[in-house]
Amino acid sequence: MIKISYEHVHKQFPNSDGLAVDDLNMEVPEGDICVLVGPSGCGKTTTMKMTNRLFEPTSGQILIDGVDNREMNPIELRLGIGYVIQEIGLFPHMSVAENVATVLVEKKWAKDRIKQRVDEMLELMGLDPEMHGKRRPSGLSGGQRQRVGVARALASNPPIMLMDEPFGAVDPITRARLQNEFLRVQEQMEKTIVFVTHDIDEAIKMGNRIAVMREGRLVQFAAPDELLSMPADEFVASLVGGNRSIKRLNLVRVKEAELRSVSSLREEDSREKAVELLNNDALNFAVVVDGQGKLLGVVGKSELLKNGDCVKEFYSDVSDVVGLDETLNDTLSIMLGTGDGYAIVVDDQEKPQGVISIEDIFSAVREHD
Amino acid sequence: MDDSLWGFFVQQQGVIKQLAVEHIWIVSAATVIAIVVGVTLGLLASYYSPLANIILPFTQVMMTVPSIAFLALLIPIFGTGFLNGLVALVVYSLLPIVRNTYTGIAGSDPSVIEAARGMGLTERRILLKIKIPLAMPVILAGVRTATVMVIGIGAIVSVIGAGGLGELIFRGISRSYRDMVLAGAIMISLLAMTADYGLGVLERYLRVRQS
Amino acid sequence: MIRQNYIWAAVSGILSIVCVVYFVNRPGGRMAARILNYDTILQAYREHLLMVAVASLAAIVVSVSLGVLITRPFFRRGAPLVDNVVNIAQTVPSLAVLALFFIYLGRGFNTAIFALWLYALLPIMRNTSTGIQSISPDIIEAARGMGMNNRHILLRMELPLALPVIMAGVRTSVVITVGAATLASFIGAGGLGDLIITGLAVSRHTLVVAGGILSALLAILLDRILGNLEIYAQR
Repeated sequence: MIKISYEHVHKQFPNSDGLAVDDLNMEVPEGDICVLVGPSGCGKTTTMKMTNRLFEPTSGQILIDGVDNREMNPIELRLGIGYVIQEIGLFPHMSVAENVATVLVEKKWAKDRIKQRVDEMLELMGLDPEMHGKRRPSGLSGGQRQRVGVARALASNPPIMLMDEPFGAVDPITRARLQNEFLRVQEQMEKTIVFVTHDIDEAIKMGNRIAVMREGRLVQFAAPDELLSMPADEFVASLVGGNRSIKRLNLVRVKEAELRSVSSLREEDSREKAVELLNNDALNFAVVVDGQGKLLGVVGKSELLKNGDCVKEFYSDVSDVVGLDETLNDTLSIMLGTGDGYAIVVDDQEKPQGVISIEDIFSAVREHD
Repeated sequence: MDDSLWGFFVQQQGVIKQLAVEHIWIVSAATVIAIVVGVTLGLLASYYSPLANIILPFTQVMMTVPSIAFLALLIPIFGTGFLNGLVALVVYSLLPIVRNTYTGIAGSDPSVIEAARGMGLTERRILLKIKIPLAMPVILAGVRTATVMVIGIGAIVSVIGAGGLGELIFRGISRSYRDMVLAGAIMISLLAMTADYGLGVLERYLRVRQS
Repeated sequence: MIRQNYIWAAVSGILSIVCVVYFVNRPGGRMAARILNYDTILQAYREHLLMVAVASLAAIVVSVSLGVLITRPFFRRGAPLVDNVVNIAQTVPSLAVLALFFIYLGRGFNTAIFALWLYALLPIMRNTSTGIQSISPDIIEAARGMGMNNRHILLRMELPLALPVIMAGVRTSVVITVGAATLASFIGAGGLGDLIITGLAVSRHTLVVAGGILSALLAILLDRILGNLEIYAQR
């Protein structure tokens, strides 16, 4: 784990007035995700690119694990830093596997070691190596391409990652999913990450620390909580926007909230049993699970109105399902989408863990204060 | 008419074959040299824009100059004969190749190049692994244009003594020997069409492999 | 770009005049002197320009019409076939075309015009059809919706919109024609190529070089003028 320090970093571009980056002083602790956020032109991307020397600072230094990055060979430096950009930049003439293997080939790894690692990375990002490995980028969806881009950056297990709007080019639903998956991966890997975005919600969700930048200067550098409760000035406050309390829903995960327990039925159970269970249940519904405990659907008051003697015949599919890692913000969106005041919580294996309702969301936020 | 033409082909097949071989030989030699020189120049031009500013306008102007005029201008320097023809063919062959190489390389998708650079690939590796493979279809299209063009110009170089199928045409004209001219015209056209078709197939194959 | 074109054109023009004067005054031998005089040279220019002008204008009329024709709806099925034929035809070298016409129509200026005309058709026809096909269908639909009849759509929308591309085709075609016209001397058509041929026949390098330079400069001059026309057409 490595920390990155920016000391009095300035950057002036030859043909423009004013500094692109003006006296930046900041330290990114080991294993943290530091999100650089701000309007266009604030210097966030420039800062990120100075970290791997795609740009050189006009003055000041950037220390990687205590060593000035200008003392390192730039190629070696970049081989040791994972790099993901918004357009992704997958090589169109190479397969997915070859793309992911790029840095490993440069580092002259052995062939079978490369293959093993590539398969590992693809699986980590939720792509089946058998199915997707040989495909070309043009045959993938936007979300898949972004996953390959991240897999490619992770391949050599670099201790540092630079990510510039890596999830920007997809629709909001896919973006939320990619964000969640990446956070889960980061929990295991604990890399030091510099993450650039213009989306304050993404910053709050993803960052351990947020650096708000404006016209080249660092305006506030703080944890998301502090940013929301104590914005440094008018600019930060307006950037964060109104509805700060709702934004705080981004900070709490479903697993941190207290869930209500829910009864479960099997497909084979009889109507009588369902009726009995529902009458005893405060929520007036039950989940239907299969032999391994996986969620199949729900039975509530409206399902009982349908015909059928056996649960199998009248249970409904369920659309408001959330994972344990989901933020309360996304959970609330799902609830609002379906119009139900609750969502069923499942774990990685799709086994129901309980139910979360709107009231539970509110209490969780209040407690978190 | 067909009888006498066919008869001509049969009767003169030795000569025709020899001329065809001469033609293919000079065209191939010129094309190979042009590919080596042209791709190199195109690559250099994509890296050094002052060079590009000289080379590209030059190729554009040269392409408007009639080939026989250029051949004529080379005579004081190279005299008549094979060398003159070869030089002219190489120069004309260069033009589409240099232009297409430059366009193909300079026009590489910037985000792909940025990703490669950010990942730690050296300029040389980027050129070899990414820029050139991606530019191959465009470069090949240039080679194809050049080859077809040069087969046509190759017909003219026989006027200055470089040999080739043009001999059939020019001698046929001066002797008013209709079948000879016809044979020459047909052979050259066939050669050009075959080359264009063959390289077209190769070009399509490369484009498909890319996507 | 416009200024660059004018400069090149002006330089070519001036250089041509300078060369003509130079060669007339220093023909390098009596045999060459017989040909390198103002009358002969001007005659050569006249023949050359006439060949190019007649062939090109006639080609424009026919090929634009043909190009428009193959973009009409009833021709939709024939279009790919025509495309293929045109592509194949364009690989045939100009010398071969000239030679073929020579066989069937004999020597002379008129034969050459015919051959040059045919050879000039292809680039213009292809550019016309491409130019029209690349017009966004929405624009045509809007025009139709406003009540324009087919003739107006063609004359007031399709042709004007395709004009830049058509002009590019005309430019390519004229440059090719200048080159082919230089070759046409071999079938007795006259023009600047005569200088080259005669020079080769009597082994007088001045003649050859004179013919070469003058025809090269002419090609450059016409190319640049048409280049500016092309730019104006884009506006």
